[in-house]
Amino acid sequence: MATKKLRPRATVRRGTAVLAAVSALAILAGCSATSDSGSSSDSGTPSGTLQVLVSSADASDAAFRAINKSFEAKYPKVKVVFSTISNDKYPAAESSRLTAGNVDVLVAKPVQVPSYAKDSEADDARLAESGSFIDLTKQSFMKNYTPSVLSSIAFKGKQYTIPTGISYETGVYYNKDIFKKYGIDVPTTWSEFEKVADTLKSDGVTPLGIGGKDSWPAGLPMLAAVQGQYPTTADKEGVAKNLWNQKTKLTDAKPQAILDTTEKVFGYAQQNFAGVPYSATPGAFAAGQYAMTPDGTWNYPTIASAVASKFDIGYFPLPTSDTAANNQYLTGKVELRLAAASSTKNKTAALAYLKFFSDPTNYKTFVKLSGFAPAEPNIPSGDFLDSISQYTKKFVPAWDQIWVANTKAGNAALFPFNYVSLTPMGTDSAKAAAQQAQQDWAAAF
Amino acid sequence: MTNFYPFPRRGPMRTIFIVGLAVLGVFGLVPAVGVLVISFTDIRGLPNLPIHWIGIDNYLAFFSRAHVGDNLNAIKNTLVFAIVSTVVQILAALGIALLFNQKLRGRNVYRAIVFMPTVLGVTVIGLIWSLIFNPAGGPASSVLKWFGTNSAFFGDPKLALALVIFVQIWSILGVSVVIFLAGLQAIPEDVQEAASIDGATAWQRLRLVTIPMLAPSITANVLLGIVNALQSYQLAYVLTGPNNHATQLLSLEIYVQGFGGTPGAVVSQSQGYASAISIVQFVIVGVISVASLLYLRKREARL
Repeated sequence: MATKKLRPRATVRRGTAVLAAVSALAILAGCSATSDSGSSSDSGTPSGTLQVLVSSADASDAAFRAINKSFEAKYPKVKVVFSTISNDKYPAAESSRLTAGNVDVLVAKPVQVPSYAKDSEADDARLAESGSFIDLTKQSFMKNYTPSVLSSIAFKGKQYTIPTGISYETGVYYNKDIFKKYGIDVPTTWSEFEKVADTLKSDGVTPLGIGGKDSWPAGLPMLAAVQGQYPTTADKEGVAKNLWNQKTKLTDAKPQAILDTTEKVFGYAQQNFAGVPYSATPGAFAAGQYAMTPDGTWNYPTIASAVASKFDIGYFPLPTSDTAANNQYLTGKVELRLAAASSTKNKTAALAYLKFFSDPTNYKTFVKLSGFAPAEPNIPSGDFLDSISQYTKKFVPAWDQIWVANTKAGNAALFPFNYVSLTPMGTDSAKAAAQQAQQDWAAAF
Repeated sequence: MTNFYPFPRRGPMRTIFIVGLAVLGVFGLVPAVGVLVISFTDIRGLPNLPIHWIGIDNYLAFFSRAHVGDNLNAIKNTLVFAIVSTVVQILAALGIALLFNQKLRGRNVYRAIVFMPTVLGVTVIGLIWSLIFNPAGGPASSVLKWFGTNSAFFGDPKLALALVIFVQIWSILGVSVVIFLAGLQAIPEDVQEAASIDGATAWQRLRLVTIPMLAPSITANVLLGIVNALQSYQLAYVLTGPNNHATQLLSLEIYVQGFGGTPGAVVSQSQGYASAISIVQFVIVGVISVASLLYLRKREARL
């Protein structure tokens, strides 16, 4: 059968090449950044698109949205594109958005690591070092912030971020009605705490509620236990250094005591807490299923709305030392820190946003909605934070703000107090968990 | 007459073949070689950072004294996950396919129900099963309560992996069932009939007629199952978190190293190291799938 020659072969080949090239180009073009960010200078009236990227929490998201709204009202030519990403996915989003150059203001946490932990800088520190964030040191709005907070987040003498607030993470929320019913006072020492927990247990009340499925909430009692053994910042910095220099072992008396205490705290928690998600604890606490729950102050808005007016809530530092003075402060962290990307195509709007945020009037709104303690002086912090002001007179950074993990060490030495291996989170006793951590730690050197 | 059905000539066929190859090359081969190359660097996937050629340091780190324990645990979990989920999935799918191949009333409804989880996204599946296995008041915990017992489910380090495997099987069973059903329907009726006339019992017909004639479907299912299970981490991630020792899988480790954060700790991450783990995983997946392919093909030929 004769077939009609449709087209010469060479044309087909050329056509193929062109088609392949065009399709490849079209696909690759789709991958590149399509940023429409208005002006690129840093002067004049802000306009164009402003990309804001933060790691998410219900309360702070709402607070950022309120700021964004009033920012857009003040600068009608600016359109804020707000992205909020869950904590565990944030690093991936941050690196891809920075690489693509379509982020202007973002949450970043450059931490200057001590010389003994050289090469263990996390990504944000490396980014600050390489000039990926705009140096904010000389910006006028930095003067609005509390100097001691700024000095705690300085990176090699410079400021790359503004602190949006402070959270405390080593306390427990308690149900004042239950405490009253069983005639219990707020404990100030470890033995008092044990007595409180035992009293509650004997009355058929579960003392503590922990959302262990997310792992880190079970780490909060560990951070509190560190406070009991190493109360001052100098103590914590000392033990971190000695661990890195291998003068202190994770099986020594004090590090071991941290795990022993954490194990006992786990023993007071609700049955099967290792499978309970963090998000489920405020509801169960509000339902009166347990008398206390270790949680950070950032979660107060959520807990308060779950509890509503069912009972009064209080908050006290989890006392892990038998010396009351060691338990007198809550330890905390500087919350979500905002940086401006130096690759921004809209520096004017980015800096205007940070300035607007830092303005005490706007910052007041943010603090109120986010539940963070203020990082600016003379900002009212709300009834709850006022009620715990005796524990926050001095800002004491928590252990996780001081410790630098070693990538060369095994997983058991990550924190490095190995609470994740403790039964029921893992399968080890406090002693075995410490030994495992020490083994993984020593292997790094 | 041409031999290029459905194409009239060689030209269009080549065009389509080349475009396909180009797409595969650009999006499959180039990234794969890229991963191998960057596994010898300390790349972090961040702008403005220098990238250094560090030779086999990432591989040495993977097998270092500090990491080898965690990594062997991940490899062990990966193998248990792959083997158990594939075997159970094949057996269950075969049973269900045989059942649904009968003339049952409403069998299309059953088929749809079995296939339905395949349509759901991983996050949705994660949410459903997290709620079912919530130790505080989930339906599974209520059932255990009737028997006077309780469990932390995904929070129990001895049980977590088994439950993740169970959910994995539940979620992909539908695909295997469909492949088996297609295979079963391709078996001619008269072969079965002839076997019956020769006096074969139902069991003999299954063992000596149905299963041998299903061999290509079994091969397809085993390979798909193994490769999928060896690379799958999404369910372990959404159900038990990124850093759970009990359910740590090799591919999950790659994700966490390359893209994820470790909540509660400031850790220096490197995508170069993640790539090195990918290559180790590639070798494991490659060896296991080629070995099983060879074995299954040989068996198919023998049958």
